Formats: sequence, structure tokens, C-alpha cells
Amino acid sequence: MSPQIIVNGIALGSVYALIAVGFALIFNILKFSNFAHGSLMTASAFIGYIFAIKTKLGLFPVIIVSMLAGGLLGVLGEFLAFRRLVNRKASSIYYFVSSITLGSLYEAVVTIAAGPNFYNYPRFFHKLVISIGSIVISRSDAIMFVTSWIVLGLLVLMLSKTRVGRGIRAVSFDADTASMMGINVVRHIQLAFFLSGALGGLSGVFLGINYTLYPQLGNLVTKGFIASVIGGLGSMSGAVIGAVLLGVIETLLINFIGSGYAPVFTFLIMLVFLLVHPQGIAGSNVQEKA
Amino acid sequence: MEAYLSVLTFALISVVSVCGIYVLTGLTGMFSLGQAAFMAIGAYISGMLVVRLNMPFALAAIIAVAGSMLIGFIVGLPTVRLRRDYISLVTLGFGEAITALLNQSVQVTGGAMGFSGIPQKTNFTLVVVSVIVSVALVGFLKVSKYGRQCIALKSDELAAKAMGINVPRMKMIAFLISVGMTAYSGVLYAFYTTYVDPSMFGWRKSAEWVIMVFFGGVNSLTGSIVATLILSALPEMLRFASEYRMFFYSVLVLLIINFKPSGLFGEFELSPSHISKLFKRGHKNGAVNVAASGKDQ
Repeated sequence: MSPQIIVNGIALGSVYALIAVGFALIFNILKFSNFAHGSLMTASAFIGYIFAIKTKLGLFPVIIVSMLAGGLLGVLGEFLAFRRLVNRKASSIYYFVSSITLGSLYEAVVTIAAGPNFYNYPRFFHKLVISIGSIVISRSDAIMFVTSWIVLGLLVLMLSKTRVGRGIRAVSFDADTASMMGINVVRHIQLAFFLSGALGGLSGVFLGINYTLYPQLGNLVTKGFIASVIGGLGSMSGAVIGAVLLGVIETLLINFIGSGYAPVFTFLIMLVFLLVHPQGIAGSNVQEKA
Repeated sequence: MEAYLSVLTFALISVVSVCGIYVLTGLTGMFSLGQAAFMAIGAYISGMLVVRLNMPFALAAIIAVAGSMLIGFIVGLPTVRLRRDYISLVTLGFGEAITALLNQSVQVTGGAMGFSGIPQKTNFTLVVVSVIVSVALVGFLKVSKYGRQCIALKSDELAAKAMGINVPRMKMIAFLISVGMTAYSGVLYAFYTTYVDPSMFGWRKSAEWVIMVFFGGVNSLTGSIVATLILSALPEMLRFASEYRMFFYSVLVLLIINFKPSGLFGEFELSPSHISKLFKRGHKNGAVNVAASGKDQ
């Protein structure tokens, strides 16, 4: 187990953490698994790609555009697919189907617009690697790592310290009571969707840079889901820990048994984890509310 | 004529799998995003038993269904005790794992190139008989004690538990029934097309089935079946618009969920007494509705 693998694993894990936290934000506030998250990632990564090709700007403008696009798509999705369900206090199965359908819709639009082809982001850096001692870190991995943690740190600060952050947490805890306290529930749900979409956009760009860009890129969202199951559904810190753990495990598996079988083993790890410790690392098992 | 028959056969095979999904989603309120993977398991196991070991078709089909139910038991075991979100997330991971496994074990399954050379054993009669049996099975299940327990836990797990229903056990039974039926539809599929490859069984396929059930009405078996027939036959007829197919599907279903959440058919079920009422016009019109609502209790 060389430090090189660990470093690569943590870099990969930090992207998974972005996905898992974006997923957990929605899970907390509306108590359902948002399966549209993957297609939202793809769609905003494509918008970032078009922006990069058209303007030839560097990585950071592209990231910002993708995050904005993801956030707006998130808000749009909330309006199209979930607003009426919230008003109706629909049972969670409707949210579920709505999110799957919304995901199919995003994916269909991307497929119609881009075709089933593969795209590559333009190369953003001249020097590809940074070496520290014997460890070689690819430039994109380093940027992925640093950006992810800065964004996650900002998110935690926002949720814990600011007024809107407290509002989001209050609505997540109990929407009815929050609304009686004068909190605008719809606005805060919109904000949560914006934040989750922005995180999705960021992870979409990173995944697009790391692999290639294609309409089914969003299937990688499964990694984020697995990470949040390992970490404990609905827990932010658990999602981050689970994601980093998953990144390291996956890099190790790829190194020793090849990338083809890696999904099989990550699935088995998740299954064993659920059998032994179903509440996840963070230990906050969300029970079905009556 | 031949082409229409094949479209109809594919649609009917879908009806078998959607009957399974109905038990899981319509009756119990759980979602599986790896259901297509169970279809793949049924197709591959039966296909390989027949091609490699020269086993008779019927025996291979039984082994394939039993084998996939065993795998379903292992997948379901950790999830039935937990919140219903877990089963969707775990089956999603399961689907990815199965696709990876099928793609990797090239010597056994043919990998991404697919597995071909399966003899064509499925004919239209077999498919029709299968559909009748599975619809009848699910129809009886719905009005049986088990079905009512499933419906109870779907609307409120805690209350169902308080009434003495063994919730994890019922969830597991529903999951296994649906896995078995989906695997069987995989057998039918493999022995009809004579060729399967891993890309046919992604989670999109599972999602499409769930969408079909919701399109027709999540509380109505009749609705689910009609929706399946329409939604799986229509795109075959409209080949030219295949790119837009998913787009229209999604828009349609979003509209239904937002504006008519009970689906096209609501709680309506077609029952024998119902059909006879339909032919005897001039009867009181209300009788039909009474029969329909009484049936659902």
C-alpha cells in the first residue's frame, strides 16, 4: 500500500464527497433519494464544456459557469418535479418516481443535444504533474482535491453560521414548525436545490476532466450513493467520510484486481457494511417517519 | 404481420416483468433500480444451462428463476429491515455490479459482445400463457391476506408493525416474488431474441418499468398492464422518433405525477363481474363503480 495510491484515492474520494453531499442536502430537506442528481451533473458539465469551447477561458471560469448552471437546473427541477408534491405533502414514493423521471428528462435532452458521442474538455494546464518527494500528483487531481475541500468547507460554514444556513437546517429538521417560526419553507428548499445542483455541477466538471464527457456520465453518481450509504444516509459528515473511504478502497481495488471488477467489490463492501453496521459510519440512521 | 407479432411478444414479455414490479412498487411501495439485472441473471443462467450443458428448456428456466431468487435473497437481506430508500440504492449498486461482472467474465458470458446462439424456444403461445398466469397470480395476491398486508405497510410501516404485520418478512416476500417474475421474463426474452448482451439491462430499464407502473396507476394492476402495452408497443411503431422517446416518456410521466398522481386508471381494476356489467348496458351505471371500489378493499 504505497502513499501514491492513498493520495490518488483521496483525490478521487473528494469528488465522490461532492456528489454525496449534494445528494445528502436534498435527502435531508425533503427525505428522499434524488436520482436526478446524476443527470444534473452531466447536463451542467456539458454546459461548462460548451462554455469552455466557445470562450476558451481557463478552468476556473468553466467551474463557476457549471456550478451556476447546475444550481439553476436544480431550482428548475424543484419547480418542475417537486413543488406540487411538497404542497400536496405527497408520500415519498412520488418524490422518488419524480426524481427518476426528471433524471431521464435531463439525460434525454443532453442526448438529443449532444448525441451519444464522447467529448474531451480542452487541456487546461501545461504542466501535468506536481511531484512532492517520491509522490507524483497529477495537476488535475490536486486542483480537484483543493477545490472540493474549499467548497465543502464553505458549505459547512454557510450551513452552521449564516442565517439562511440555519434556515435550511430548521426546514430539514421540521418543515411545519419552521414555517410557523416565519421561515419561508419554499425559498429554503429552493436554496437547498441550488446548493445541491452547484455541487453537482462542480463534480460533473471534475468527472468530465478525469474521464470523458458523454451523456451517461451521470451513472457515476452511483459512487456518491454508495458513499452516502456507507457513511449513513442523510448525514453530511458521514457522506464525506464514506466518500473518501470509497475513493481509497476503489483506487486500491483498481490497482490490485483491475478496474473491471471494482464495481462488484464496492457493491459487496456496501452490502457487508449494511449487514454489520446499517446505520453507517456517522450512526444517524434515518427512520421512516409515520 | 410478422413484425406486429414480434412487437406484441416483446410487449407481453414486458408485461410479465411489470407484474413483478407491480408487486414490489404497487403493492409494497419499494423501488428496485436493479430489477433489470435480475432479468439479466435469468436470461444468462437459463441460456448458458441450455447452450453449454444441453439442459432441457423447462428445467433451465426453473433453475434460473430459483437461482435469481437466491441472489435476490442475499441482496434483500440487509435492506428489508431499513428504510425503503436503501433497497433502491442497494439494487442500483447491484445492477452496476452485475453489468460489470457480465462485461468482465468474457470466457463465460461473452462479455460486452453479448451471448448468442441461444435456441429459440419462446413462442407466442408460451408468452400468452405466461402473461395470463402471472397476471392471475398477482391479481389473486393483491386480494389475498399477503397482498393486503403489503398494501398496509406501503401506506404506513409503523402502523402496519403495530397491527402485528411482520414488515421485514413481507417486504422480503414481495421482493422475491418480483425478482422471480422478472427473472422469468428474462428467460422468455433470451429464448425469444436468441441473443443477450449486458447493455440491455442497465438501470434505465428498471426505471422505465417503474415509470410504466406509475403511468397506469400505482394502485391498479389493470392500469399498469395497459400502460406497459401502450408504452412498450408505441416506440416500436414510432421508430423514426426514437431519439425523442425518452423525452416524451419523461414529460408525460412528470405531468401525470404532478397533475393526476393516481395514474391513468386510479384505483380501477378490471374484474369478471365488471366485464359482465359492461355488456349488460341498461343496468344501473353506479353498479360498476361500486364493484370497482369494493374490489380494492
